[in-house]
Amino acid sequence: MSEQIREQVSAFLDGELPNSETELLLKRLTRDAELRESFGRYALIGESLRGGGSARLSQNFHTRVNRAIDGEPVSAVNSRSPGTELRRWWRPAAGAAVAAGVMAVAVLSFQQRADVPAVVASLPPATVGAITDASLTEVKPHEALSYTVPAAVGDAPAAMPAARLTSYVFAHSKYSSVLGQSNVLSGLLTDADDQETATADKVSLPKGVHDGSP
Amino acid sequence: MTRRWRSPARWLVPCAITGLLVGGVAQRTFADEASDWLEKMNNALATRNYDGTFFHLSEGRVETMRIVHRVRGGRITERLQSLDGSGREFVRNNDELTCYLPDQHTVLVEPRQQHGPFLGSLPKFGADVNEFYNIVEVSNTHVLGRAARVIAVNPKDQFRFGYRLWLDEKTAMPLKTQLCDSRGQVIEQILFARLDMPESIPDGDLTPAVHTEGMRWVRQGATADSASPALSAYRASQLPPGFHLTVSGAQTLGDATVPATHYVYSDGLATVSVFVEDPHAEPPHDPAAAPMEGLARVGSGFAFSTVVQGHQVTAVGEVPAQTVEFIAHSVKSYGSSDLPNR
Repeated sequence: MSEQIREQVSAFLDGELPNSETELLLKRLTRDAELRESFGRYALIGESLRGGGSARLSQNFHTRVNRAIDGEPVSAVNSRSPGTELRRWWRPAAGAAVAAGVMAVAVLSFQQRADVPAVVASLPPATVGAITDASLTEVKPHEALSYTVPAAVGDAPAAMPAARLTSYVFAHSKYSSVLGQSNVLSGLLTDADDQETATADKVSLPKGVHDGSP
Repeated sequence: MTRRWRSPARWLVPCAITGLLVGGVAQRTFADEASDWLEKMNNALATRNYDGTFFHLSEGRVETMRIVHRVRGGRITERLQSLDGSGREFVRNNDELTCYLPDQHTVLVEPRQQHGPFLGSLPKFGADVNEFYNIVEVSNTHVLGRAARVIAVNPKDQFRFGYRLWLDEKTAMPLKTQLCDSRGQVIEQILFARLDMPESIPDGDLTPAVHTEGMRWVRQGATADSASPALSAYRASQLPPGFHLTVSGAQTLGDATVPATHYVYSDGLATVSVFVEDPHAEPPHDPAAAPMEGLARVGSGFAFSTVVQGHQVTAVGEVPAQTVEFIAHSVKSYGSSDLPNR
């Protein structure tokens, strides 16, 4: 990626790229997969540095960040002001700060991507300990949950076929007339590759919810 | 000094009350203003013509998409297109949504009686929604060279996602949106590179570019046929805080010949669909009949499937993984006399 394009990407993510240059960048991004990958990487780094909410990172993100900053000298770190880092966070000056910040965020990351080796949760019908009668139980806000996922038993079940998953999401999106719809439908547009291997991930349960393992 | 100023209570109490009232009013006004901006966004998304290109960023990956939305004579036509990825497209013409899936050689068609625009809309925020989300105006900034208000919809627990919205000061159109988890971590972003709001949009901009020769057309959707009594006996027995049953009905899914039951649970903002199917109702060796167990990810949403008393139960929603898993695992069969209705 040339210095000029890096400058454009950074300025765009900062909301400072003129419309005429945005059009050019858009055309480049549409036809250049490698540039798109870099763009996504920089967007995440930018979010982590802006501090307006840390970006959740995929499992191998630290590797990709190392690749992103590979070849960029870190000696100039101390010569940059924080303001400069925020405005042009991709510059070499940001290298060490990015690595530290991103690694810290990566520790917090818990969601596995669908394209990492899948852990298929082979679960029989769940035991929900709190249910003792036939009436619907709604967990009260902030109430600790008693929720046990039994240990895996039996043969590995089938993964969710892509076409079947699409049907579910398509049918669901009708009722998702909230902001979530854009995310769900955009997900359907983007996840063609992932859905080919739409197998299960191990889910991280919320605080107060345990998986029944010793 | 007159007598009436000798006692501090004489003036401290009114001042304190006034301060509390002013503070309360100001606080309520800030919250109301943030909600007002969401209403304005709702209105803009539903009523304006727009043609935009945006980046969909998720887990370090980027896809470029185009959204075209036209309102003409009360009829809405909308097209959402992937420009560099799967080649998939959605086209909505009034009450029908068509999903072109060239990678699956399939076109899915589904009628839509109730719908919001592809870019989504937010419901009116009542007290029940405010119980589970904080809605605040965060700051003012610039996006695409336009002045923008930043509104945050923060979830109060880990069972739902939140949003940060950068809304155009002039039009209230969202120029940038972030989907966040309960810790504020960004899961997914939609970032406009270009957003035009023309007076008119030609038909050609709403015509799908996908060549459909040789593709399989599948019509799915809500059906007047009832699901079997066995399927209708299932419900979620335990729900995360704030979620309640909003819709129940029968739904055909893909090539399935027998309708599934479809339940929709919502907290007023997030929704989760639960499908209950009878795998034995489909022909043997049909992929639709194979039992499934586990979690799959679709964009920022999740689907979790499990088998309950021989029936396939699948929960899908734009919520964290633990929410769909929690709800799916709680589904069970009820007798007719103790079937919950919420």
